[in-house]
Amino acid sequence: MIPESVNSSAIWVMPMLELLGFWRDLVAYGPQLVEGLRKTLVLAGSVSVSGLLGGILVFGLTLSQQPAVRRITEAWVSFFIGMPLLVLLFLVYYGLPQWGIRLSPFAVAFWGFTLNVSAYNARYLATAYRSLDAAELEAAHAQGFGASQIFLWIILPQVLRLSVPALTNQVILNLKDSSIAFLIQYTEFFAQVQELAAQNFRFFQAYVLAGLVYLALVSVIVLAARRLEARIILPGLER
Amino acid sequence: MALLEVIGLTKRFGDRTVLKGIDFSLEEGDTKVIMGPSGCGKSTLLRCLNRLIEPDGGQILFRSEDVTRADTDVRLLRQRIGFVFQQFALYRHLTALENVTLALRKLKGMSSRDADAKALLELRRMDMEEHRAKYPAQLSGGQKQRVAIARALAMDPAVLFFDEPTSALDPEMSREVVALINRLRYEGVTMLCVTHDVSLARYVTAQVIFMDAGEIRAEDEPERLLSGHHDPRIREFFGNLGHADA
Ligand SMILES: Nc1ncnc2c1ncn2[C@@H]1O[C@H](COP(=O)(O)OP(=O)(O)OP(=O)(O)O)[C@@H](O)[C@H]1O
Ligand SMILES: [Mg+2]
Repeated sequence: MIPESVNSSAIWVMPMLELLGFWRDLVAYGPQLVEGLRKTLVLAGSVSVSGLLGGILVFGLTLSQQPAVRRITEAWVSFFIGMPLLVLLFLVYYGLPQWGIRLSPFAVAFWGFTLNVSAYNARYLATAYRSLDAAELEAAHAQGFGASQIFLWIILPQVLRLSVPALTNQVILNLKDSSIAFLIQYTEFFAQVQELAAQNFRFFQAYVLAGLVYLALVSVIVLAARRLEARIILPGLER
Repeated sequence: MALLEVIGLTKRFGDRTVLKGIDFSLEEGDTKVIMGPSGCGKSTLLRCLNRLIEPDGGQILFRSEDVTRADTDVRLLRQRIGFVFQQFALYRHLTALENVTLALRKLKGMSSRDADAKALLELRRMDMEEHRAKYPAQLSGGQKQRVAIARALAMDPAVLFFDEPTSALDPEMSREVVALINRLRYEGVTMLCVTHDVSLARYVTAQVIFMDAGEIRAEDEPERLLSGHHDPRIREFFGNLGHADA
């Protein structure tokens, strides 16, 4: 009995000390982590808003009566969907200074993400648009509505509703992908976690912590998205 | 006075001439029914009249004004023509009431209160007031069509166009809508109605325009067209419909 209990306490002591040590570092490094988290939320939040507005704008342009505008917009969307975001960020952050153009890490991240996210959001809205009833749009024209009125009052309310799952998914991606901004010196949450780990070599604990924090934030978004979906679903069309 | 006078109207799609010189007129307060085989150009004709489709030639006089001219305010013209579709075409994201008020608010610039009052009046006229808060997906086909008619009437149009208003309805609902159209006729609403429904033409006893292959082949009382007409094409068409009805 006695050797066993000695044994089992020995098994537990080391990890407990380890955890205590990590906890101590965490408290000491807390302010930087909180600041990193703030910067993550600022980046993910702002590009979610700008990406939605940009997506609506780009989607609107893909419906233009001018074939040239439509084609240019399509090409624009394909370009930013095809271009890896990281390459875009590096191009602007490390490439442009060669020509004397220097932007802050946040500015580069903000615009890079906005271009990328609005291209994706425009695609989601365009996909939803294809499922609209052509007769409804014809009826709107027959009533005497103009193209911009039809966009605003008939098309947009419907495609936004239909795209809520895709659009909120994009918000989750924005949050997770914001961690790549640390590669262009934007010291967001993941960059700070790296710092912390590099100081005490407790990589495992640090990355588990990072994972849990992202998971918690994603859960909040998922719950909010569910409530939004439940609120905007049209009576008679529930599944 | 003629509300609508159509002179030599033509329309081509590619090298296919779909309307080959259409002439007819519609008097204020009058109702005409357009019938004819599938693909003869009935829907195209209606859509040319409010310029949802651009005609290639001919004239459309709307209260003596040529509305085929390039400087015509097309959106204003459309506001004066109520259009009711086969597939109802209600705005899915709006309630019955909102379907009716949208154009009143956004096109006529009415306040929400005035638009609501006007829309309720039209819904009541269509016996749909109690369903005002329902969305299209919660309504039956006949109810949807009545909301669509209320939506068109609310704009106080000079004329109502129908493109097969009963084709998507079962016989009972179809009879309901026919009765409504008939009531509007007695209220003096000017109407132009494309239909395959012989009973609609009979019941509403409107003058029937028979179209075939992009031309008007005859225009007459329903009874004169429906049985034993001297034109074999017309006899054949209504003969077939008669069998389908029985
Ligand atoms: N946008 C278009 N482009 C090319 N052809 C068209 C177009 N719209 C209609 N057509 C053709 O024009 C002809 C007339 O069509 P329309 O829809 O006017 O016929 P309809 O008399 O209304 O037929 P239905 O009774 O089946 O509704 C058809 O042959 C159709 O294929
Ligand atoms: Mg048709």
